[in-house]
Amino acid sequence: MDALNHLILIGAGLIFLSILAGTYSSRLGAPLLLVFLLLGMLAGEDGPGGIEFENFETVFLVGSVGLALILFDGGLHTTRTVFRLALWPAVSLASVGVVLTALIVGVLGMLLLGLQPLEAMLLGAILSSTDAAVVFLLLQRSDRDINRRVRATLEAESGMNDPMAVFLTIVMVELLLDPGAREPWRLGIDLALQFGGGAAIGIGGGVALRWIINKIEIAVGLYPILAAAGAVTIFAFANVVGANGFLAVYLAGIVMASRPYRARQVISRFHDGFIWLVQIAMFLLLGLLVTPTALMDFLFPALVVAVLLLLIARPLAVLASLLPFRIEWRAKLFISWVGLRGVVPIFLASIPVVAGLPIGVTFFNIAFVVVIMSLLVQGWTALGMARMLGLEVPSEPESQEGALLFELPTATDREIAGYRVRPGSPALDQDFAALPLPKRTRVVGVIREGAVAELAQLARLQSGDYVILLVPPEHELSLDRLFVPMAPRHAEVLDELGEFGFAAETPASALASQYGLAIELDHPLETLGDYVARLLATDPVVGDRVKTGDAELVVRTMEEDRIAEVGLELLTEEERLPIVRRLRRARAWWMRRRFAERLPRLRRR
Amino acid sequence: MEIAELLSPESVIPNLRATSKKQVLQELARRSAEATGLHERAIFDVLLERERLGTTGVGHGIAIPHGKLAELKKLFGLFARLEQPVDFDAIDEQPVDLIFLLLAPETAGADHLKALARVSRLLRDRAVCEKLRGANQPEALYALLTETAQSHAA
Repeated sequence: MDALNHLILIGAGLIFLSILAGTYSSRLGAPLLLVFLLLGMLAGEDGPGGIEFENFETVFLVGSVGLALILFDGGLHTTRTVFRLALWPAVSLASVGVVLTALIVGVLGMLLLGLQPLEAMLLGAILSSTDAAVVFLLLQRSDRDINRRVRATLEAESGMNDPMAVFLTIVMVELLLDPGAREPWRLGIDLALQFGGGAAIGIGGGVALRWIINKIEIAVGLYPILAAAGAVTIFAFANVVGANGFLAVYLAGIVMASRPYRARQVISRFHDGFIWLVQIAMFLLLGLLVTPTALMDFLFPALVVAVLLLLIARPLAVLASLLPFRIEWRAKLFISWVGLRGVVPIFLASIPVVAGLPIGVTFFNIAFVVVIMSLLVQGWTALGMARMLGLEVPSEPESQEGALLFELPTATDREIAGYRVRPGSPALDQDFAALPLPKRTRVVGVIREGAVAELAQLARLQSGDYVILLVPPEHELSLDRLFVPMAPRHAEVLDELGEFGFAAETPASALASQYGLAIELDHPLETLGDYVARLLATDPVVGDRVKTGDAELVVRTMEEDRIAEVGLELLTEEERLPIVRRLRRARAWWMRRRFAERLPRLRRR
Repeated sequence: MEIAELLSPESVIPNLRATSKKQVLQELARRSAEATGLHERAIFDVLLERERLGTTGVGHGIAIPHGKLAELKKLFGLFARLEQPVDFDAIDEQPVDLIFLLLAPETAGADHLKALARVSRLLRDRAVCEKLRGANQPEALYALLTETAQSHAA
């Protein structure tokens, strides 16, 4: 009994400490997950904690369920915009990209570390999936964000590539355990069953889960539990019948969120918290599991693998998978660089150990070091990289900032939003009766100085008023624009988006005559926004550019899916981005040198 | 394109006095009319028309008002430092105190854009702007505006 209480005390205490430590580390900008890892290591056998923990089964169990919930949550949060902007590139990265990453790491591992072919492929598979959550944690700053298309691609990729990585890992483990177990033709059938079955179960499960949640009346607090249990059930069921549970649970999340469902906020908030708990638990366990002194033996090969992965495998795999898509080279470079590895590779590395492969522990240690390297190197450089490549854009006002949101108990697609009107809020300038509210949005009440105001007699809102509204979830952002004071626009970020800004409604002809731009209009009254949108031919995001003779037009501001402001860019890419200048210069130098080498030989002839 | 090709030493005003955006534009129009021999009203109208399309206050206290005039013979630049920063509807809502006006002939075409790019690149350099705010003599300002241009062109 005593031992059990000790265990509970240690477990709860560690999680408690981790969260406290987390709030401090985010202020320091250190990769948060490393703090949890460090705490685990301190509590472990080589640290002052001295806890001996060698239970890979626990890691595997916590990891599977945790990853399933992470993917479900990822699916729930994947918006239409993400798909619109990045579906096919992400699919390519998550399929071709994962296989290529695994292959390249495998082949190089074979050549450099002398691994057996199958073992090398296993190592490649373990390391092949990315984790975008960590990147966004680092990139999230109040005033700036990264290019939406890049962000959407990384986000969707990281959700979609786990199923493929899991599949590859399991196949490799099975082949290593019994090389005759699978004939090649069986592999094809497995692949079809894994992904076809996973997709079917996921889509069906998602629809069913949403239907059940919308149908039954239970205590509000139970909805998130119901959703989580449903997700894990879908996951486990798929696995039991031989389909890909990770794919199923991810798709279930997407499908469930594609239509309104009850208790959306409660479920979403619960899961956000729960995902944190899973991440913390995983990294704590890993910290406990790993024996730092033993790691030293693997340090060298692990560093080699990390370098191969970050500098060769990931970039090559990304460039190859994005080949069919029209994506700027700067975006490709950034995506190549920030293929951050998170908790998934370590979870995958526990599979061969649990399966009893002798090489398992070695790979586990290697995966451990690679993940740390990736978190450190890529985590800390991502922000600078985004700036250097000119992929920073001004951030949208944070949704729900300043808003209190309540759920309506039925499955309507409206929520209750409450705002405190603050000085500088755009709503203050408007007649109350003529507030430019989004569609299907209504003011329910206004509370002024502690008393409920008579709406009919209200002329204007005052600073300090509470406004309570009914709003469809998709218009929350528009409502934020109305009530949250606009942050001053930062000239540094706008500098990257053209020298001068013009409203999208400006006639394109006005700009053409003002600057002598070569603009071919669709019709004489075409607006600047329409012109840019037409030339882009993809869904525009802030930062997209079109060339018009000697200048470029840049999308500066978007409102929902529409271009709102266009920048006129006078500088060339080379003048704007120092890195482009340096790269061009380096190339020129290289060409000169090669030419100079050949020159004497040519002369001799 | 060099700043010295756009800007003559006489076209540097170290302490322009104005209290509003409109006054700034009027004052700039008056000075450029003196220097180019064009109609003050015509210049003012062209500048105002450009501001209607969107502000030329590019942030960091800098504005680059500009426009095209048929009667103008060649590109004309004018630099002014305001005694008191004024509200210029700048994109970052900060008051403006450094102004580089650029007028182009109707036929300037690509040169107009190149000159604007040149000016923009010069004033994007925060160090240059700080020095411009610190200097007092027109000669010193002119030297800062044109010297840095050469080191940048390298």
